[in-house]
Amino acid sequence: MKSSVQNLRHRCARSRTAGFVRHLLLFLLCIGPARLRAQTSEPPAPVPILTGNAGFFTNVQNGTSQIVSEVNPVVLLPLGDRWLIETRGEFVGDFQPKWGNGPYGGTVDKELDYLQADFIANPYVTVTVGRFLTPFGIYNERLYPIWIRCLQPVPLIFPIEEGSSNGAMLRGGFPLNSAVNMNYAIYFSTLTTTNGIDSDRSLGGRMGFFFPGPRVEAGMSWQKSLQDERTNAFGFHFAWQPNAVPLNLRSEYARSYQGSGYWMEGAYRLSQVNFWQHAMRRTEVVGRVQQFFLGHASWGGDSEYELPWANAQEADFGVNYFLRDGLKTTVSYGRQFSSAGDFNLWTVGIAYRFAVPLGRTE
Amino acid sequence: MKIKILTWVWILATVATLGAAADAPRSNGTATATVRSSADADAMRIEGEKRFRTNCGRCHAAPHKFPPRMMATIVRHMRVRATITDEDMRLVLFYMTQ
Repeated sequence: MKSSVQNLRHRCARSRTAGFVRHLLLFLLCIGPARLRAQTSEPPAPVPILTGNAGFFTNVQNGTSQIVSEVNPVVLLPLGDRWLIETRGEFVGDFQPKWGNGPYGGTVDKELDYLQADFIANPYVTVTVGRFLTPFGIYNERLYPIWIRCLQPVPLIFPIEEGSSNGAMLRGGFPLNSAVNMNYAIYFSTLTTTNGIDSDRSLGGRMGFFFPGPRVEAGMSWQKSLQDERTNAFGFHFAWQPNAVPLNLRSEYARSYQGSGYWMEGAYRLSQVNFWQHAMRRTEVVGRVQQFFLGHASWGGDSEYELPWANAQEADFGVNYFLRDGLKTTVSYGRQFSSAGDFNLWTVGIAYRFAVPLGRTE
Repeated sequence: MKIKILTWVWILATVATLGAAADAPRSNGTATATVRSSADADAMRIEGEKRFRTNCGRCHAAPHKFPPRMMATIVRHMRVRATITDEDMRLVLFYMTQ
């Protein structure tokens, strides 16, 4: 009798254990895949965007004041998994007092900076056709937008790399190993004389190496003009964002038929300052030194930016205050020393970056 | 009894394997981020934030997060503009949309 009770208890215990295991497995069977699905993140479908920036600045250069209002709308139109149509326009109103102390007047310049179709062929190559920013150095492609640039006056050598090209380009970035990424761009541009979308016949490219660990990037650019004097231009760029401090160091050197020069810039975010934390972490101080050496000819033409007409060196200092994400006020002072005459350059203004979806975002 | 348990384990393993296979990442240039455990997700999020600070901070102050579909477009744009790598793009998009 006693043994049969023990057997019954034993069977019941085994039955309860088997039931528990069965329920546990059933639970895992049902919940496991559900949990897997819940943690699987399919990429969201991209939506067309209207973005860009707007700004309003007052410049005083050599005693002459100038009011600049600027809007740069950017439209991004993704198609499928691999395509992106992107375009940026530039509308710049440049107003100065007429006859010295008269009413302000001026013109609004309109230009199509780029209108390009990008095809992401594979992780190594993106094919771009259309009108695109010439990939020479880093300022023209990456740092030019007014909400990005740390100092509103562009570097003296900027006209060497400024501009857009009409043609085709191959570009991409990929890791060489765990310590270094390589990026490149090679392009060919045709001659276009239509006002607003003009370009030179040229070919060139840029190659850079980015070290994610120390956050250092170094690279070089080259451009061969295939018209007129068929000149060469080349440049180097270097950037470093140290991990320990909120400091951004950038520099470029460029040499062309028209001249050569360099700029070095440091921007320090005061987020590590121990007092007035709320204001300090929104404040950035910037300094830049640069030199230009005149080459064989002045730039001329009707470009928005022109190289100096003589050897020049300039030092600039500025402060940016970020009111919120994408909205900053800026003030800067610079002094240029040149054989054509020294002068001061003051700038004060505000820049805003906007981004609006052109479709459902959910 | 052991046979039953083994059968259940085998079924569970099969279903889990099929589920994992169905979630295998695509390699077609789109930003596909696949996570198989919360530990993986956390690791990807941390790595994504690191890549975000490293890559985006090269040119501008790190922006706030936008809605996921906007982020997908912006990251594709930045992949072309800043020539960031495919892997960086995937991780940054994962971080910015989670």
